[in-house]
This record gives sequence, C-alpha cells and structure tokens, in this order.
Amino acid sequence: MRRWSDLSEFEAFLDGGGMVEPGDAMPDEYRLPVFRFIELHANSELMGALTERDWIPMAPGVRRKQILMAKTQDELGHAHLLYMVAADMGIKSRDQMLEDLFAGRSRFHNVFHYQAVTYADQVAIAYLVDAGALINQQAVFKNCSYGPYKRILRRIVAEEGFHMRHGEEMVLRFAQGSPIQRAMFQEALDRWWWPTVHMFGPPSKPDDLLLRWHIKSDTNEVLRDRFVQKFVPLVQGYGFTVPDPDVRYDAEQGRWEIGEIDWEPLQATFENLGPDSSRRIETALAAWNQSAWVRDGLDQVAALHAASGDQAA
Amino acid sequence: MNDLAEAVRSAVASVDDPEYPGISIADLGLVSEVRVDGGGSVEVDLVPTFVGCPALELIRADVGRAVGAVSGVHTVEVRFVDRPLWTPERITGAGRAALAREFTVAVPLPGLSSGRCPRCGGSTDELSAFGPSPCRAIHRCPSCGEPVEVVRR
Repeated sequence: MRRWSDLSEFEAFLDGGGMVEPGDAMPDEYRLPVFRFIELHANSELMGALTERDWIPMAPGVRRKQILMAKTQDELGHAHLLYMVAADMGIKSRDQMLEDLFAGRSRFHNVFHYQAVTYADQVAIAYLVDAGALINQQAVFKNCSYGPYKRILRRIVAEEGFHMRHGEEMVLRFAQGSPIQRAMFQEALDRWWWPTVHMFGPPSKPDDLLLRWHIKSDTNEVLRDRFVQKFVPLVQGYGFTVPDPDVRYDAEQGRWEIGEIDWEPLQATFENLGPDSSRRIETALAAWNQSAWVRDGLDQVAALHAASGDQAA
Repeated sequence: MNDLAEAVRSAVASVDDPEYPGISIADLGLVSEVRVDGGGSVEVDLVPTFVGCPALELIRADVGRAVGAVSGVHTVEVRFVDRPLWTPERITGAGRAALAREFTVAVPLPGLSSGRCPRCGGSTDELSAFGPSPCRAIHRCPSCGEPVEVVRR
C-alpha cells in the first residue's frame, strides 16, 4: 500500500503522472470527490439505459431495435462496472448507491431529466448527447489519475465512438427524409440542444478539485466549446436550425459563438426537479423492484452452488 | 493475381473492430475466407462473434470500403457466414495481447469461462454473464480486485 505524507506530496505524485490504485492510502480529499464523480457516472449510465430501453418496442425496424438493445446492454454493463469501481472506494456499497438513486437522493446527468417525446428525440440524443458524453469522457480518460476508472473509460470511449457512428447515420436519414420527418427532427433538436450545451456543467471554478486531482483534464467551458465548434456547423450543414437566435460565426476569430446560457434548467436538474425527474426516478425504482425476483433467484442458485462446493457455475 | 490477392488480404486485415479501435478484425478471428478471381471480383467471408452483434453492418461496410479501394478490385461482396463458428480460440496471440494491454479484456482459458487477469495474471471469477456487449462477461480478479471483462464463448 502506497502512502503519501501530505497533500502536497500526493499532488506532486499526480502531477508527475502517477496513477492511484484502490489499495493505496489515498487522501480523503481525493477519495470523496473522485467517488462522487464515478457514482454520478454510474447513475447516469443506469438512467440512460432505462430510457433507451423504453424505445426498443417503438424503434422502426429490426435493425434499429437491435442497436437500441445493444446500447441498453452496453450502458447497463458500464453501470455495473462503474458501481464496482465506486463501491471499491469504500464510501458507499453498491446497494446504498442504488437505494440513494431510487430515493432521489443522488444525482445523475442533466440530460436524463427530460422526456424523449418521439423517436426523433431518441436520435437527437444518440447524436448530440452521446457526442457530448464522448467529449467529456475522452477528456477524463486522457488525464485520469484513478487506475480502475481509467481502464474502464478506455472501453467506454471505444464503445461510445461506435454509438456515435449510428447516431450520425440516423441523423442523415432524417436529413434526407420527407418534410414531416425533417420537421420531426427539428422539434427534437429544439428540445435537446440546450440540455446538451448544459451537459458540460456550469463554468468551472478555479479551485475545481477534479481538475486538481487529474480526473478532469479541461475546464467545463473548454469541453463545451469543443462541442459547439463541431456541432453548430454539422447541424446547420444538415439543413437544421440551431435553436439559439444569437448563434453566429465570428469570421475574424474563425469560431462559432452561441448566445447567453440560461443556467436555471440545469440547476433544477441538480435538485432532481427537472421536467421529467420524478417520473424517471419512479420508473427506475419500479424496474428495480420488478426485477427483485431475478436477483433473489440468482442469490439462491449461488448459495446452492457454494453449499455443494461447485465452482463450475 | 497473387499480388492482388495479397493486397486484398492486407486490406481486409487493416480493418479495425469498431469496438476495439487499433485491433484488427483479422486478429479477432473474424476473417474466414477471402476469394479473389482474375477479373477482380472479391468475396470476403466473415465469422460473427455473436449473431446479434450490433457492429456487423459497420464491419461489413468498413471491409467493403477497404477492399474496394485496392487497385484492380472491381466488385466486393462481404458476407457473414454461419460456419465455422466463432470461438475465442480464433483470436490470435497479437489480438490477445492487445485486448489485455489496451482494453483490460481477457480471453477465456481453454474449456473455461474464466480468463487470466490482464493486471496480475490471476484467474478471474465471473460476476455476470451480461457485460457491456453480448460478447463479454463481467468478472473480477480475486487476487488484485480488478474488474475484468472476459470474452464469452
């Protein structure tokens, strides 16, 4: 077990590219914010999977359903892995984290506090929100000082990149579709643009611990800007309108500027008071309760195998 | 003719798996047969890891594009075949090493569902057969505690 005599020695270790592992005597000033960040990520994967699941029966055609099933499994798998890593930090057990989430005491990403109204919303999410998530996750992966999290992010980033390709393909279908289909996607874009802009978080504070501890590698503004510079021209290029009357291209600077951001809706999601927060949390709790018999059954099977000394199961 | 066949084979092998950027589909054992005739018609037979794999259409498109770009190739047909069956034993040594090193993903030991932990070499315990993709289960290494994903048979 590695130990550091004080915070400045620990910080020098991180600044030198050091990686922290679960067995290390990491300072609590590190352990707590890193745990919270991973717990938030795990909660968001789980809440995202449940939304995606809702659209499987409604997705048009077998292939779209197959992709949604794969994404649902993918996100549940990520949640499972992330809850393991979070629980190993010794602050909350996995059951406590789930209990807190279903009781509305925990946080999950703002984008899962809104309702997906039509299948076009699902596509807007696959296109914009998955891209935003990928930008965030790539930045965390780049500089992540917590070993088990970095190793899981490596796989998550690869899989999100693969989801992105599907989102792009679907947006192209809408862009080439009938006027009704195009209008449908525009409405979805109107609903999801600002939540995606919010997704990068409020402006970073200068003393952001996650930056100091090498979890984040860029400020929230830098990440948001990366999204804006890429997606404003892409969305416009497909012939859709960015729902921001002040969006403009600054030819002198060679960059896109967006209008002022209203932070109120984001703040509401932090308190689980977003437009769809309570329904989402209730749905998640109901899903958890409805699947209790599966967990009970698996526990009983595991107990039987343990009693008979059967390792093959 | 042999040069063309060689060029086509290396074009196929240059395609990475969409879920493992940097690892070739050839190293994952997805390539069954590549046939090239004198007229530049190419048929590529690929073996899916799992029938429900969501990446199949992307892989098909990527292989079609890579082979189509080889000079002398006129038509490309990429098919997923149901024989031979894919097993983890088809993954090459280079593929195994890259999965372990880059992705902390283990390949199961012969006849078992467990693999060797890419971190410490310990034998993994399965926690759930359902990992983030149909082809991977979630394990934990009891020796070092690492969550490990193990390729499923």
